Amino acid sequence: MSAAGLERPQLVSHVQQALSYTLFDCKWVPRSARLLCLGSAARGTGLLQLYELRGGRLALLREIEKAKPIKCGTFGATSLQQRYLATGDFGGNLNIWNLEVPEIPVYSVKGHKEIINSIDGVGGLGIGEGAPEIVTGSRDGTVKVWDPRQKDTPVANMEPVQGESKRDCWTVTFGNAYNQEERVVCAGYDNGDIKLFDLKTMSLRWETNIKNGVCSLEFDRKDVNMNKLVATSLEGKFHVFDMRTQHPTKGFASVSEKAQKSTIWQVRHLPQNRDIFMTSGGAGSLHLWKYEYPAQRSKKDSEGAEMGVAGSVSLLQNVTLSTQPISSLDWSPDKKGLCVCGAFDQTVRVLIVTKLNKV
Amino acid sequence: MGDDSVPFLLDQGTTKTYQIPIGHLDYKFIEKCTDVKHLEKILRVLRSGEEGCYPDLTLFCEKRIEHLDPRSRALRRDKPAATASDFTAEEWETINGELMSWVTEMNEDDKKPQFLRTDTLHERQDNLPPIRCSSSCLPANQNKKSQNKERNKKNIPRDYSEWDKFDVEKECSKIDEGCEESNSKARFFSRPSLPIIEKKIDTTGMTKKEKIFIATREKEKGNEAFASGDYMEAVIYYTRSISVIPTAAAYNNKAQAEIKLQDWDSALQDCEKVLDMEPVNVKALMRRATVHNQLQNYQTAVEDLNKVLCVEPENTIAKKYLLEIEKKLKGLKPVSETQGKGKRILIQDIGDSDGDEERGENTEEHERSGRDKKIVLPVRGEAAAGEAAMGNTQRKFHSKGGGSKAEDGETQKQKESTESRLKKGTAEKKSQKHLPDREGEVNGYLHSDQKSESPEAEAKKVSRWHGAGSQSAGGGRSTSLPPTAAKLKSEGNELFKSGQFGEAVLKYSEAIEYVIGLGEQSPDDLSILYSNRAACYLKEGNCADCIEDCNRALELQPFSLKPLLRRAMANESMERYRQAYVDYKTVLQIDSSIQAANDSANRITKTLIDQDGPSWREKLPPIPVVPVAAQLHRWDGGNFTSENKPRSTTDVNREEQLQMNREKAEEMFKTLKNEGNDFVKKGKYEEAVNKYSECMKLNNEECTIYTNRALCYLKLYKYEEAKQDCDHVLQIEDSNIKAFYRRALAYKGLQNYQASVDDFNRVLLIDPNVLEAKKELEEVTQLLNLDSSAVAGSQQKQRKKITIQEVAECDEQEERQFATSEDVVTDHVTSEEAVQKSVRLKTSKKLHISEPSNAYDFGQIINAVNSNKDKAACADLLTITDPKKLPVLLSNKLEGEMFLIFIQSLECYIVGKDPGLVYQHLFYLSKVERFKVVLALLSKNEKNQVQQLFDLLSENQNNQYSLEDLESLKKVYEL
Repeated sequence: MSAAGLERPQLVSHVQQALSYTLFDCKWVPRSARLLCLGSAARGTGLLQLYELRGGRLALLREIEKAKPIKCGTFGATSLQQRYLATGDFGGNLNIWNLEVPEIPVYSVKGHKEIINSIDGVGGLGIGEGAPEIVTGSRDGTVKVWDPRQKDTPVANMEPVQGESKRDCWTVTFGNAYNQEERVVCAGYDNGDIKLFDLKTMSLRWETNIKNGVCSLEFDRKDVNMNKLVATSLEGKFHVFDMRTQHPTKGFASVSEKAQKSTIWQVRHLPQNRDIFMTSGGAGSLHLWKYEYPAQRSKKDSEGAEMGVAGSVSLLQNVTLSTQPISSLDWSPDKKGLCVCGAFDQTVRVLIVTKLNKV
Repeated sequence: MGDDSVPFLLDQGTTKTYQIPIGHLDYKFIEKCTDVKHLEKILRVLRSGEEGCYPDLTLFCEKRIEHLDPRSRALRRDKPAATASDFTAEEWETINGELMSWVTEMNEDDKKPQFLRTDTLHERQDNLPPIRCSSSCLPANQNKKSQNKERNKKNIPRDYSEWDKFDVEKECSKIDEGCEESNSKARFFSRPSLPIIEKKIDTTGMTKKEKIFIATREKEKGNEAFASGDYMEAVIYYTRSISVIPTAAAYNNKAQAEIKLQDWDSALQDCEKVLDMEPVNVKALMRRATVHNQLQNYQTAVEDLNKVLCVEPENTIAKKYLLEIEKKLKGLKPVSETQGKGKRILIQDIGDSDGDEERGENTEEHERSGRDKKIVLPVRGEAAAGEAAMGNTQRKFHSKGGGSKAEDGETQKQKESTESRLKKGTAEKKSQKHLPDREGEVNGYLHSDQKSESPEAEAKKVSRWHGAGSQSAGGGRSTSLPPTAAKLKSEGNELFKSGQFGEAVLKYSEAIEYVIGLGEQSPDDLSILYSNRAACYLKEGNCADCIEDCNRALELQPFSLKPLLRRAMANESMERYRQAYVDYKTVLQIDSSIQAANDSANRITKTLIDQDGPSWREKLPPIPVVPVAAQLHRWDGGNFTSENKPRSTTDVNREEQLQMNREKAEEMFKTLKNEGNDFVKKGKYEEAVNKYSECMKLNNEECTIYTNRALCYLKLYKYEEAKQDCDHVLQIEDSNIKAFYRRALAYKGLQNYQASVDDFNRVLLIDPNVLEAKKELEEVTQLLNLDSSAVAGSQQKQRKKITIQEVAECDEQEERQFATSEDVVTDHVTSEEAVQKSVRLKTSKKLHISEPSNAYDFGQIINAVNSNKDKAACADLLTITDPKKLPVLLSNKLEGEMFLIFIQSLECYIVGKDPGLVYQHLFYLSKVERFKVVLALLSKNEKNQVQQLFDLLSENQNNQYSLEDLESLKKVYEL
């Protein structure tokens, strides 16, 4: 590899761990060197494994088996002290677990009729002002917001009109939680719809369609005044929306980039620098990107209305780890450049991304 | 196959996939080719191996592409993850070592006893905000029913349409009274100046580690905001970081952001905090030197730089900087140059320290420096005049300018007027003489101005004029706007530009108050302020106030074009055609080339002939003759609002006039007020309003006048005006019970029941014994509950409501956006439109009754008419509406009530004048979509009314229709 190549960030595969089950999601446990793998065992039950990074290997600390396969999980709505895990499973149940006493969930609700595809939390871990809340998106077409302090019923529910066809909701994310009142939920659907719900005004603030199913959505930071939103799609493209300036007719400005020919399963922003993000692709590849702002982030159109100007995206590095899709990705909130990804080849990998400081 | 084979393959056809001539797969061709797309294709062919395998050529091609376009997608190749072997041993050591030590640290941390956890938990939970929905507690005295309803609604599933149907206003008031409204509006126009972000973080019960974690993250957020050029936000996040744990780095970064914002004082403080913590922090020293330089404390700046050089003797930037400042100290160079240089250095410094702080923002930096230079230019020119003392204030202006051209212009103007203050002694006399110049100039820029019709353009032009014009002309503006007022004005201009006329009015009013409050009369600026405010009023459709402001502006600056034009438009809108005609004519005397004025004058001539017959000219008020030397004459233009304004005699010098005013103001104020009060007692509210308005001109800080006038407006059913007066009072005195009470009544009149309820509640809060308020409150609360649909009724509050409807009506984003854009288009009459058209559009839109251009407009007017049962207005509307358009305008919105009011107004007002028109209306009314349904639902009484109308029609036979026609139409009406 040339010397110039080494100037750029490198993705180093630190640990690989083969698993005996299908892995759907992996997450770092905040304030620790441990990570969680969530998935489905061969016999159709849910599995939850807790690993600890020790030297150059992963040590299994705990394995918990549950009735339904677990699709997704988040620590977003828990405090740094408690670190309760919220999970969504194939049966449409939202559960919150105390990992030290995992037998009975701390909170449990049958939130959806079908599988919960995506879950996100805000208000915990010191990320996002305001109440801790969890949002779930399901194949039944609904997006529901939950407050762990309120039993049985969601605090907000977004579903299609009676009679309108129900689209499979593939991804949900929180954003704009920069003070106690403001908060938005963004949801992506299998038909390419992206809907932005404003929880403060309880209104649909914006929607668009990116033509192909929306696999993953993420704000660059949940706890700042909406800045950027990345949406990845089924056919290998991703879009970066500048969320600062909403034009009355054109909505948000965006830039799109095609990473590869296969689906982009996940996008995750580096927690320590919102302008760097990684996408994981269907062909087992990872792409590290940097967003560059334009000289002027907004301009006036001919009618004097403010409209955003999208910046550009540049590729910092790409690697191919597997022949199977990488379905989950998570940056360590505590160690810059440390990330974990899980692929359908039943392997979990811990990666180190170097030189992120120099980007 | 070797590379030699290539020549043999020449001219042997093309490649299979892209049809590239085989000859292109050649070193020489690739070397010369600059078309990246073509090269990418060649590369793909080479890589595929379908034309044979040439590893060297492939590599060569790749390099060529990389040379031309390093970001080319063709260069992206799958590669495996890096391994230890990709790094040098040392590098790998650091990477691995760092991770290992982190892992051990983390694992050790976790094993520590966690005694802190349990007892802090509860405390943390208490601090949490309440659960959504039940969270939004309504004020205790608010109606309970609605509260329950809302709550039930929350918990059941909601579909999208229901989300859209949400009454945004109610939701907002539930969350935080009213504040959101402006936000949501702003969302569609301009970004709110700054989002409300808490400046402190509650860290109770957090462990040290957590605090560090949070402080670091907030700092990172600050860095990111800095990188994206949002320095305000960056400062907030650094402040938050500091509130958790004060660190030198956060202070240092904050200082840098503040330097960017040119907030020198704060930057200085922060630098000092850093230096308290780390006495030899080079970055902080450099920054403090920059700040000192900007604050012109050159001596201290030199000291700081020397300290830097003590620590880092090789620091070239510090050396250079030191040299510059020393030069300044010695005063070898003229101020202007050093000022310019000072700026340049500032930029260098920032660029340098950015590198230190891992903020890759080179492009941004360039851009920024470009902007800075732009700003510097006028400074140089100006500084030549030896205005060194002005330095600081001016620069502060620049910082607010933030690169916006409009404000640049403003700043420059400000500066120039400040400069002109020096010449104050001679200025006043000169101003008299140079008025014709200015008039000419005004004419000159009126054209461009008409297109955009924003006061801001005026400011720009004026400043350019100043810049280009002679010094003496500059002196015409004998006094300047003080900075506060100038700022308010430019804010107003911005708001105006973004279509927030209401807010713009407030800004201008503040500016006016401020200027008047200073006592130092600057008629020119005041006149512009009034004129700008008039423009806002005109946009808002508040013609009365517009005229009033124009009058004031004209009093201060007789024969200024803009106020004249605006007054003309307002007069025309209010159907005071004669006055409008006179104004247009005056405008034309000043500048005959103003197309809009010409057209309007012609139009009005026609109307007046229709109205007054051939002798219409006799009924006109005298058209003032604009003398060639207009500056010495004053034309008493105040009589248009038909009140007894002080008519200034023609030859009274303005200065004398103002002097006199000041002396007599108090006395006159009292008499006028008493007169006003007398009128109120007699029930002559119109006159009373005039008196009070007079009073306000003399002293606009006396709250009672405003509350009194609000009362009159209430009596006259001018709710919007009443509300404005109350708003004004409440700005000055935030607990004026009368103002609250009257505003509540005004809101009630405007059918803004929610706001009304709020105000009544405030009244009761201040004094729970006000029986009337209690009574009214009950009534309004009932109205509020009964009548949620009527919310859209009020004409005056249209703008806000439109926003809500957008959300409420359309499922599709496209549609909603369309609606907004339509709104925007009609609001800001764009510069693309022809001058003439723009003027017309404005007048028609702002009229209470104007010719509706589309079904939406028509619906709005009808709603307003309907809510007041204002038959006269309805008749006006029907007169100007083309009957043929009725089916289109009404679309499917015809309702019984509407139908009736049509019939009634036709019967009461139109049938006598123009039975033909009535017939036409009736005829086309029957073609409207829901006509049959409405007809079927009419009661007997109502049918009788229709019958009566037909009777009247047959009595007033007209050549436009025959009796047979009428009979057949009667059948259609089932009579």
